[in-house]
Amino acid sequence: MSYKPVLGRTWWLKNPAFKAYMLREATVLPLTFFILCMLAGIYSLLRGEASWLNWVAVMGNPLVLALNALALLASLYHAATFFVLFPRVMPIRLGDKKVPDNLIVAGQWAGVAGVFVLASWIFWGVL
Amino acid sequence: MKTMEVKVQRYLPEQHSEPQVECFSVPYDDSTSVLDALNYIKEEQDSSLSYRWSCRMAICGSCGFMINGEPKLGCKVFLRDYAAAGTVLIEPLAHFPVERDLIVDLEQFMQHLDAIQPYIIKDSANGVTEMMPHRQTPAQMDKYQQFAACINCGLCYSACPQFGLNPEFIGPGALALAHRYNLDSRDEGQAERMPLISADEGAWSCTFVGYCSDVCPQQVDPAAAVNQAKVLSAQDMVMQLFRRNK
Repeated sequence: MSYKPVLGRTWWLKNPAFKAYMLREATVLPLTFFILCMLAGIYSLLRGEASWLNWVAVMGNPLVLALNALALLASLYHAATFFVLFPRVMPIRLGDKKVPDNLIVAGQWAGVAGVFVLASWIFWGVL
Repeated sequence: MKTMEVKVQRYLPEQHSEPQVECFSVPYDDSTSVLDALNYIKEEQDSSLSYRWSCRMAICGSCGFMINGEPKLGCKVFLRDYAAAGTVLIEPLAHFPVERDLIVDLEQFMQHLDAIQPYIIKDSANGVTEMMPHRQTPAQMDKYQQFAACINCGLCYSACPQFGLNPEFIGPGALALAHRYNLDSRDEGQAERMPLISADEGAWSCTFVGYCSDVCPQQVDPAAAVNQAKVLSAQDMVMQLFRRNK
């Protein structure tokens, strides 16, 4: 008779590696809030000026700002974990040579910086 | 000589209904591995203790245990590593049924390994029967070599919560080996392996926890292999769509 151990619901609390994994997966929660805000914004834009101004006011609420700041941090954390995994999942070869992992990671962060610069340029003055 | 308290999870099916922990006092120096500690206990204190081991040099992959909650080879960690903690707890590999003491039933892992056909498959037309050499360039070898170092120790299965939750999951070790053969320029078996890799219990059951790669004693990086296999699987699915539309 063998003994079969059962994995309980708290399995992820028993190891730091599993806690880090659950933290990575949990970043989806504040990001969901951010996406709902965006969708609400587009919807209010369709409904007219009053609705839009109301949405802008709600977005200025300190709690909403805090949750969206959390969403930004969560997406940066998720990006940091994802960027490290990327060269392992999609190793890039130029000819016979493998592109070094840290170069790919740096390239992805350069992409993030590029998006930030582009977004700042577009929205400068609007905000 | 210093001594350390070594706790070992015991399970004797004829005596116990559930595993229990037993404490032993083991003398050690800088060269005492966890496996040495188990050998000492068996020889000097309790000959009924059961565990697997063979080579003592991290090549055979037999002496995998949970050591203070982490999957490790008993021969590759030393009691000195746990001197600060003052105690060490040795349990059988997680996620496998326990047969006796530290011996687990690896049947599920063996079945998964067998299912992915971890060997070079050749079309019969130019197969090994013709005794033709199958040449390979260093660049071709470089593509799979990292994934070829697996010693089938099973540590990655004990590190994988997805396997713990669903033992039908093919798992990191077997999927890494499947990928190793799919990447081999001499192999022609990818089409045969793909249905299993793309199945529910294949690569897509992996959520990239990544701990399997942390614990691998051979630096195989099974998490990378499994997720590269997802890319192959996705490409394969698209190809199938085009073929069906023809």
